[in-house]
Amino acid sequence: MQQPAAPGEALPPDGESLADFPDENRAPHAPAHGPLARLAYALGGAGLLAATATDAIAVAGRHTGLHLLGSIELVQSAVVLLATSGMLIATLVGGHASVHIVTERLSRPAAARLARIAAFASGLTFLALAAGSIWLAYDLWNGFEQTELLHIPLRWLRTLWIVFALVIAGCFFRAALAPSSAGVRA
Amino acid sequence: MIAPELVGTLGVLLLLGILAAGVPIGVGLLVVGLGGLALMISPEAALIKGGVVSFEVISKYELGVLPLFLLMAHICFAAGASRDFFDVAAKFVGHRRGGLALASIGGCAGFGAISGSSLATVATISSVALPEMRKAGYNPGFASGALAAGGTLGSLTPPSGALIVFGIIAEQSIGKLFAAAIVPGVTQAISYLLTIIALCAFNPALGPATARVPWRERLPALVKVIDIFLLIFFVIGGLMIGWFTPTEAASVGVVGALVLLTVRGGFSFAALGNSIRATLRTAGMIYVVIIGAMIFAAFISVTGITEALSATVTDLHASPVVAIVVMALVLLLLGSFLDGVALMLLTTPIFLPIAVQLGYSPIWFGIFLVRTMEIGFVHPPLGLNIYVIQGIAKDLSLGTIFRGVIPFLVADFLHLALLIGVPALTLWLPGLVTG
Repeated sequence: MQQPAAPGEALPPDGESLADFPDENRAPHAPAHGPLARLAYALGGAGLLAATATDAIAVAGRHTGLHLLGSIELVQSAVVLLATSGMLIATLVGGHASVHIVTERLSRPAAARLARIAAFASGLTFLALAAGSIWLAYDLWNGFEQTELLHIPLRWLRTLWIVFALVIAGCFFRAALAPSSAGVRA
Repeated sequence: MIAPELVGTLGVLLLLGILAAGVPIGVGLLVVGLGGLALMISPEAALIKGGVVSFEVISKYELGVLPLFLLMAHICFAAGASRDFFDVAAKFVGHRRGGLALASIGGCAGFGAISGSSLATVATISSVALPEMRKAGYNPGFASGALAAGGTLGSLTPPSGALIVFGIIAEQSIGKLFAAAIVPGVTQAISYLLTIIALCAFNPALGPATARVPWRERLPALVKVIDIFLLIFFVIGGLMIGWFTPTEAASVGVVGALVLLTVRGGFSFAALGNSIRATLRTAGMIYVVIIGAMIFAAFISVTGITEALSATVTDLHASPVVAIVVMALVLLLLGSFLDGVALMLLTTPIFLPIAVQLGYSPIWFGIFLVRTMEIGFVHPPLGLNIYVIQGIAKDLSLGTIFRGVIPFLVADFLHLALLIGVPALTLWLPGLVTG
């Protein structure tokens, strides 16, 4: 029989995500570095832990009669942090799911050209999402949109998403225009 | 003026082309969805739809379930839980003919309940079980075939990532989907076990028996997985009986996994940081895909392509079962070149309304879709699980693994036919637990 796995050692093999999406290039993903990545990890981590703590406290409170008011709204805000940061991190590490059946059979220069086009199209798409979100935020700005119970202002969360969508678009454009671009890795 | 249905069909074909060109799946769905909406309604409407849907998705409380279950899984891995299930099963049944292959199915089912992913399951269990089986003199094709098939259990075993994504894009209860997956998951595992027993009965050389492990070694091994088993049982059970919502269940699971990590002596801020980083990366990728899927579904809905297809099916006066079998064949065909969840995202907006119109429950359809998608993980030419195993055992040819998986594919088709023929297998448990 094999040796029992030690705590902290038994991660799934590199390149296998937990979502059944094929990973970009099927290569291991090194953690992203740099101030942008650090900011994304910090914000996303805070969102993830805040969502966990809020819901866990809400469950415990409900079963002990101490209700946590507005827990859903708190989790929603935390989810915005983790989702926006997660999308940026996935972009920074080149971790977006894609289909490989054709590209892995192409010559390296042809595959690299397609990767540049894919990165450029991805940048344009995030730019379009940002544009739509800006349009919406502009229309709603003076409405002081907020959550019902805790009055959390949604316009700042919208602004956060717009900023991250623009940064993600920028990362894709940088990858598309980089001299030795090998894909969407930014 | 082009007919809307034709625009929809062209959109689907364009999407296939874009995905084949290596454009990220989420972006491909967005390009076709936004472009199609711009063409069908107006560019302004498409932009605003993009803004509305993207913020709706990233601020959706219910969607918090996915990153939280991912975090729970990563913390469980950090606690060293990933390989224990095979170890325990091997100690209990390894001495029987084909016993290690049976144990690998048990290991896949157990690990699938943590990871919710086929690829992660096959990669992890194969890295442990395949060397053991080859050392014990198992036929390499048979051993790798059992693992490739067993790995697919990860997609259906709750908390399955694929079912969560389906629940979100089809707006169905994730709790009901998890409950619905249990009987099909168990019967699927049983079908693999029976296949192994039958193969080894006809050809004992495929999986020779190994030395019997004494009970004094079996019981301590069992203790190693009992904590993980209790955590999963509490989280999924609590969700099904209504103690908590799916998102709350996932949060409770994260807290439980942290306790488990601490009790096992593996807690450190580095381990927690690694789990968070891995979770954020996968969650971010899935958020992009879900935004894309929502926009693409809106485009498909505007084209009226599903209504046209439904009308065609109705006009044929064919039995609903025939229509579902045709859908299964289309899914298997598309699964030859589209990976797992991409297939789900492309086909759900088109096939789900048709299935509902034919009288099938969306919950049943979700299980049917994921089960069919699972078969795509092992059938040629794509069969991602096969490539994962080949990456682990590089001396095994793809042909050997594909040949080894054939008996399990037969079991898969029979099991799929059973799910189609007896929908109650899927719908009985959700009806029971949710009243």
